[in-house]
This record gives sequence, structure tokens and C-alpha cells, in this order.
Amino acid sequence: MQNTASQTAPVADAGQPLLELANVEVIYDKVFLAIKGVSLKIHKGQMIALLGSNGAGKSTTLKAISGLLAPERGLVTRGALSFQGQDMLSLSPPKRVARGLVHVLEGRRIFEHLSPEDNLLAAYATRGSRQRYQELKEQVFNYFPRLKERARSKAGYLSGGEQQMLAIGRALMTEPELIMLDEPSLGLSPLLVQEIFQIIREINKEQGVSVLLVEQNAAAALEVVDYAYLLENGHVVMSADAAVMRENPDVQEFYLGGSGKVDYLNVKHYRRRKRWLA
Amino acid sequence: MDIQFLIELIINGALTGLMYSLVALGIVLIYKSSGVPNLAQGAMVMIAAYLIWMFAHLLGIPIVFAILLAIVGMFLFGMVTERLLLRKMVGQPIIMVVMLTLGLESLLRGLGPGLLGASPKSLDLGLDMMPIIVGDVFINREYLVGGIIGGLMVAGALLFFRTRIGTKLRAVSDDHVSSWSVGISVERAVAISWGLAGISAVAAGAMWGSVQGVDWTLTALLFPAVAVVILGGLDSIYGVFVAGLIVGILGSVIPGYVDPLVGGGTRDVVTSLIILLTIIFRPHGIFGREDIERV
Repeated sequence: MQNTASQTAPVADAGQPLLELANVEVIYDKVFLAIKGVSLKIHKGQMIALLGSNGAGKSTTLKAISGLLAPERGLVTRGALSFQGQDMLSLSPPKRVARGLVHVLEGRRIFEHLSPEDNLLAAYATRGSRQRYQELKEQVFNYFPRLKERARSKAGYLSGGEQQMLAIGRALMTEPELIMLDEPSLGLSPLLVQEIFQIIREINKEQGVSVLLVEQNAAAALEVVDYAYLLENGHVVMSADAAVMRENPDVQEFYLGGSGKVDYLNVKHYRRRKRWLA
Repeated sequence: MDIQFLIELIINGALTGLMYSLVALGIVLIYKSSGVPNLAQGAMVMIAAYLIWMFAHLLGIPIVFAILLAIVGMFLFGMVTERLLLRKMVGQPIIMVVMLTLGLESLLRGLGPGLLGASPKSLDLGLDMMPIIVGDVFINREYLVGGIIGGLMVAGALLFFRTRIGTKLRAVSDDHVSSWSVGISVERAVAISWGLAGISAVAAGAMWGSVQGVDWTLTALLFPAVAVVILGGLDSIYGVFVAGLIVGILGSVIPGYVDPLVGGGTRDVVTSLIILLTIIFRPHGIFGREDIERV
């Protein structure tokens, strides 16, 4: 899967999407309706952002895709989820990873007591070849040279940025077709966020890995992605090319910090009136 | 003071300690991958000893093959236990899981003697009973073999955790959800660790069964084994080795001098004190890991 650049341009509805969510609904604890019919599509090679404020349902959507709702007593109660044309809902999380779907969790969640190198090894397929492992590891170290320097220290002592890099590198060890990143910018300096987003974009272009990026930091995300979905209150309220999204006045107002002269006192009030309820 | 007496106490204590390590190893193997302190490990040692005895003495299979069969049997026993009992407990509070292992221990303790009769069975490993005499020091040959096997099992476990599967097991002990997220089957990892604990129970069952006979009292090995894992650290293989030596030596030397004065029974007191003092002064044990605090 050494696909190179070419196909990263926003692909229109050409052919079968790599990932498709149709009207997915998730309920936690049998009572709390977290997402209410989310539909989205990702085509091969695309890099897509899923934007929205706190509690909009972004993380829940990712967990529904990766199958990690169960530990939090969440359940997909309606809708369909297909990846490369196959139904995913009936598969366990490890089986979904084996099909090429990997989820980088919010807050990095690296294996703190293992060295970065062992973090990478742990994520590599049990039956994969030794040689392929070395290749993948070198690839990760190429994208994140800082990890190589600290390959044998305890991962828990890496800096926040390095931990995020390790979390992404660890996901790459599973040889994914689609990598889903949950808030990789969390707690990192703006400069570091830019660096990491650029590397993700490079991985997307050079490896042909599709990316689904979940972000609260809409400004930074819209700089790198092709297309974006906007989630509010468990609904997709808008979806458009990144460029279009950036120019939309409402998006600018609520997610990109306005046109420069925002009246913060009234933002909340205004926002309440202008909820995008679908 | 008679220095030979002391040396003898130390050497035989150290060997006994390594045999405790054999029991303790199973507890650490399971804790290291699932965070569950398995209180049924003593009972698993007993079941393993009964299995060997059945194969060797009831069916007349040569002892080496009887042990190999028991290894297969106990590996499966561990895997099935995970499948039938532990998997149902995912997401439950840890205290529930501990109680479950305690229930399992009572069940097994009743089951073995219940089915096979309560009288102690002797398990003959074909070892020479004559003590080895070095200078004027007597060394118990069975304990020597047991100690060596204990050391080898610990070394084997250390190597295992460096392999790819071992690394995945360590990852699982770090973070279940995050292991799932990168495709590690947590259920399988935990099942493997129970299977391995079953195998270490066979080693312990063979040696202890040979030393003290096979009956329900083998389950009482849980007590010194718990002292070993608490002192060494619940998740440390090195800890099993070092703490095994310490618990063994203290449990031999102190009673050696004090027992004649008080009329016996000091070994259990020493073991209890080790548990209590460790928990008070160093709760995570000598080698147990502390939570990482980044500053």
C-alpha cells in the first residue's frame, strides 16, 4: 500500500466510499442518546475533519466506528456502518483493526510503563513478519525522529507532544487504511499542533492512509483537511469542503473566533438563538 | 553459635523460598496482564498436583509424561477459567473479581479431595531422597531441585515478557481500552496469562506434592505466596525471585532459633509480619511499579 500523492484531492462521490456511516445512533447506559443519526462518508485517500464543540458527539462517533463504546456501556442502537463495503458493527474492536481501521484515543493513552519501542511492538500484528515490523518501525521513526532518540526510555516520561507522536506512530504499526485521531491537539502548544498536523498530512499523502480528524481546534484542522463535517448536539449540521467551511460566516463566528471583533459578551447569547438544530 | 546450623537454615530456607516463588509466579503472571490478584492460585497448585498423581499413579503413566499431560491440562484449565468466569466480570469492580477467585479457590479445595478422597496421596517424582552433604551442611535434595526449577521458571517468565506476545500482555496490563484500540485482543491476552499460571501451578504442584504429599493442605501455599508477591511487588517477576528468597530465608532462620524457645509455629508469624510490614511501609513492594507522575 505504498500509494503516493495523486489521490488526495477531495474525491467527489466517485465509487464506493472507504467508510460509510448511515444514520448511526448511539445510546449510553440505555438512556442517554449521544448521537442522533449521524451519516458521513470517507473516500480512500481523503483527509476529513469532524468538528464541533464539547459534547457534540465527536468522540462517540469515533468510538462507534472503532467499536470502543462497550467499555463505556454505549451501544449503537440504529444505523449502519460499513468499511470497504463490509459491515463493521458485528466485529470486535481487534477485528476492526485487522481490517485496517485504527483509532488514536483522546488523551493519547500510550502504554506508559513500556518503552516507546515496545509500544510500537505491542501494536504490531502477532503473526506479522519480523522484517515488516522493522520496516514499519523505521517508517514511524522517519516521521517522528524524536521518538527514535527516546526509543528505550519509559514512555510515561515522554513530553505531551512526544506521547501524541507515539500514539500516532503506534497506530501506524497496525498498517491502517483509515486512521481516526481524537483531539490530537489537546494540551499541546500551537506550534506543536501545527507540526503534528503537517506530519499527519504527510502520512496521508505519502502512505495513502485516509484520515478522520476529530478536533475542537477547528482553525488548525481546517488548514490541513480536504473536507469537514460539523457536529452539534449529536447531529451533522453542515458538511463542506474545507475551503467552503472556512468562509462560512457561522463557522467563522462560532468555531474560528469570528472576524476579529467578536463581542464575547454576546456570543453565548447569539449562539443560543442561532443553534443549528437540524 | 553454631555457624553450620545457620548456613543450613539459610540454604534450605532459600530453596524453600524459591519453591514459594513457583506458586507466587502464577499470581504475578495473572496480575501483570489483567490486574486481578488470583486468590485461587494455591488451589490451582493443588489441582495440578492431583492431576499429576492421577496420571502417574492411577493410570500408570511415566512421571515425565504425567507432568507433560498435567501441563496441557492446567493450561486448558486456566484458559477455560478465564472464558467461563473472568470474561463475565469485565467492567465489574475489582473487589467482585477478587471475591470470584476466592470462591473458585473454595470450590477447587472442596472438589479435589471430594472426588479423590481426603487422605494424603504420595507423589513420587523419582528423586533420590538422600540429602546432599556439603561439608557438614545437609541440603534437602527435593528442595534443591525445586529451587532450581523455581529459578528457571522465573528466568523463563522474564524472557517470555520480552517476546512479542509477552509485550502485548504487558500492554494489556497497562491499559485495556488502548490495547483494544490497536488491535490487541485483551480477552485472549488474559486467557493466555491464566493458561501460563496453570503451567506454573504444575511446576509448583509437582514439587510441593512430592515434598509434602498431595491433599488439600497444598492450597495453604497461597499464604506464603501472597507474602512473596506483596513483598516483591504484585507485577514484578524479579520481585517473585528476590522476595521468594527473603520470605524463605526469614521463614527458616527465625523459626530455627525461636521455635525451640516458644514451642513452634513462628514461621506463619514471620510470614504474616512480612505481609503487614510491607503493606504499611512499602505498599507496592520492592519492585512493584508506582504510577508514573510526570513533573
